[in-house]
Amino acid sequence: MKKRIGKVTFLMVLSLMLVLAGCSSKTSNEEGGKKNKEGLTELTLFSADPHPQWDDMNSPVGKVVKEKTGVTVNPEFDVNGGTQKIALMVASGEYPDLIWPKGGAGTLVEAGALIDLTDLIEEHAPNLKKIYGEYMSRLKWSKDDESIYILPTSPVDTQYLTPSHGVGLQNDVVKALGYPKIETLKDFENAIKEYKEKNPTINGQPTLGLSLLADDWRIMISTTNPAFWSTGASDDGEYYVDPETHEAIMHYKRPEEKEYFRWLNHMNDIGLLDPESFVQKYDQYLAKLSSGRVLGIIDDEWQFAEAQRSMKEQGMHERMYGLYPATLEKGMKHANFQDAGYLAGWGIGITKDAEDPVAAIKFLDYLASEEGQILQNWGIEGEHYDLVDGKRVIPEEEMKVRNTDANYVKKTGIGVLKGFAPSYGDGVKDATGQTYTIASEDQIKEAYTDVEKEVLKNYGVEMWKDLYPTKDEFPVKPWGVAFNIQVPNDSELALIEQKAMDIVKKRIPDAILADPGEFDKIYDTFLKELDKAGVEKAEKERTKLIQERVKLWEK
Amino acid sequence: MKTVTRMSGQSGLEGELSDSLAVEPKRKKAGFWKVFKQQKYLYMMSIPFVLLVIIFNYLPLWGWSMAFQSYKPGIPFWEQEWVGFQHFIQLFSDERFYLVLRNTLAMSLMSLAIGFVFPILFAVLLNEVRLSIFKRTVQTITYLPHFVSWVVVAGIVTKMLSIDGGIINELLIGLGIVDKPVQFMAKGEYFWSIVVVSDLWKEMGWNAIIFLAAIAGIDPQLYEAAKVDGAGRWRRIWHVTLPGIRPTILVLLILSIGHLTSIGFEKQFLLGNSLVVDYSEVLDLYALNYGIGLGRFSYGTAIGIFNSVVSIILLFLANGIFKRFGNQSVM
Repeated sequence: MKKRIGKVTFLMVLSLMLVLAGCSSKTSNEEGGKKNKEGLTELTLFSADPHPQWDDMNSPVGKVVKEKTGVTVNPEFDVNGGTQKIALMVASGEYPDLIWPKGGAGTLVEAGALIDLTDLIEEHAPNLKKIYGEYMSRLKWSKDDESIYILPTSPVDTQYLTPSHGVGLQNDVVKALGYPKIETLKDFENAIKEYKEKNPTINGQPTLGLSLLADDWRIMISTTNPAFWSTGASDDGEYYVDPETHEAIMHYKRPEEKEYFRWLNHMNDIGLLDPESFVQKYDQYLAKLSSGRVLGIIDDEWQFAEAQRSMKEQGMHERMYGLYPATLEKGMKHANFQDAGYLAGWGIGITKDAEDPVAAIKFLDYLASEEGQILQNWGIEGEHYDLVDGKRVIPEEEMKVRNTDANYVKKTGIGVLKGFAPSYGDGVKDATGQTYTIASEDQIKEAYTDVEKEVLKNYGVEMWKDLYPTKDEFPVKPWGVAFNIQVPNDSELALIEQKAMDIVKKRIPDAILADPGEFDKIYDTFLKELDKAGVEKAEKERTKLIQERVKLWEK
Repeated sequence: MKTVTRMSGQSGLEGELSDSLAVEPKRKKAGFWKVFKQQKYLYMMSIPFVLLVIIFNYLPLWGWSMAFQSYKPGIPFWEQEWVGFQHFIQLFSDERFYLVLRNTLAMSLMSLAIGFVFPILFAVLLNEVRLSIFKRTVQTITYLPHFVSWVVVAGIVTKMLSIDGGIINELLIGLGIVDKPVQFMAKGEYFWSIVVVSDLWKEMGWNAIIFLAAIAGIDPQLYEAAKVDGAGRWRRIWHVTLPGIRPTILVLLILSIGHLTSIGFEKQFLLGNSLVVDYSEVLDLYALNYGIGLGRFSYGTAIGIFNSVVSIILLFLANGIFKRFGNQSVM
């Protein structure tokens, strides 16, 4: 008898607990999300990237956003690219309201963590619809699942005003040689050779001809990607996609690229390649460039930008690099400015744990609206910019602070939330005919050093981008770029690609440093090893993905 | 440290212990409960620690089940797909795995050999130094590198071995040993030695501490007796110091043999580059790149299991061998 009473009490307590739990969750549902003490809806956010300029939503702009949307953001910023944290979230099944997962979106979608935004956008987000416009179909996840899980946050329709790929030559090299045309790799080579013969040392240290970087994944940026850039193809990651058939092959298989690597081998043979190219780490590379004794580089602008900035600060303007669209042979067109259309890839999603998805989508919609965009780019009228005859003008004083104060973003809140919602790119104009962003050609030209201006003048152009073939000379790539098609990272495709990457990292430096007589043998072995790793299968898989995407986006 | 003091100089007590162990099996059943009852407070006191070990060391072994599934995060355990030994078969049929295993074993054997001899030698020599201030200063200086991060050490090593003004190359050229700078970091065959030597530089002083402590525990009377018997310095080192720290040496040796396959990947990762990757990739790095890095949790677990099994086998082997021939063991 005693036992039974115990059991009954236990059951009663249990059911009471269940009822209580049921009640509490119900009430919070009715309220629609957590309200904090200010009466604002609080959205939790996870971002895979750090955000050192986060303003806690307490800056002037942050306050305006809170007032207009009734929403405040409680963020967590990861420093490790988010992969581990996202795996943990998936394992535990607990998510924040909003998530900016970078490449981890595939994992989240597979775990069913993200909600389909199609209807929410339709009902609550006119501004999101407007900003994506004709690219709306690019938001669809895949052929089998046309839901929208991620709102891409890269700028829409941005006009690129500076080139970012090419061969870099110190400004003094072209100046001393009387501004020779740098159209082919041979021109590039000759310029380095001639200058190096005349100047065996710079600042007391031996001059280096061409330095490359192969530190871990950076080998792609400075060593292997330039193989397609300088043979007239554009960036599809490790693949080359045939523009007609949309078939993908590993780009190393193109015969032109073998010739590119042969040229690098030749550069090594004649002693112009820095022998430490494949040994140095990124920081050593930057230090070397900043010392001003490396005449030529083949790299992306963002990767050597730090060295460039440091030389600018030290007043070594003649040692800074200019980028030239050199190709293997005349007639090949450097595809730096080829248009891939809107790059719908990384972006923000709303999770199934979000208690008030409507508030979340409305919040993002506000950020994408004209008002929100101007707030994120220009700031608050009368405080950060003035309206003069209906035109937005940033006062000179303010502009100076803006350019020099490292914490400007944090203090004012301008641009703090820009990365978490779609935005208009540089050069896109609003209803009044003014650009959404403050970047303009004039602004870039003003930032050039006198040396740069002189070099550009002597080449008869105004900006570095004018040296390159323009966007109009290329067709738009209907598949965007092959590398941002999401594949689950535990798939066989990802495995083969990882194996192939390991082979590339090893064999390409081998081939470049080999005796020229051996080059063909090593390169052919390299291609055979790729095939052995199952690359053909990966190519077929990628081709399928690309063709599916083209179809999906055409709709 | 506890084991060390126990091992050194208390061999009498150990004899007693093994005696009692030898007698026990005869009256095992009755004896256990009797002893248990007698010592119940001791048992109770050990419960929290046993629980701690169970929770943090044994429960996680549950995760090994992942290796036999095609594990996907976010799905309940009973809905995972079971695949048997598929991941192990995949692992053992990957050529790269054997290459990686070779590198791991080569580097750990090399550093086991060198990283053992030098700290002992160093500790013994340091012990012979009379001037206490000098002794302490040297000791402090040599163990400080232990606290320097590998990132920094790798930077220093790369800079020193650089062909572009690196001190080693300058020295070699200055002495006329080579006429052209040697690309140390670009040659795979040098890689293992570079890792082992830089590891030695970093850890020698630190590893010597434990031997110095063991030497300090040797009864000074033994030295005095040896002196009276007319033993010189070498004799004293050979007959008193080294036998005195022999138990410490053996225990540490057995334990580090158990760790042969898990040598971490920091140094290899930081010192390596694409030219030497065939010599620099180790098991842990392989597990990271091809396991967790690709979201293949199951594959990573399979590598982990392989690692643990090899470690246990090695540990028991070493323990058995030393027990048999040296009368010394950890278990």
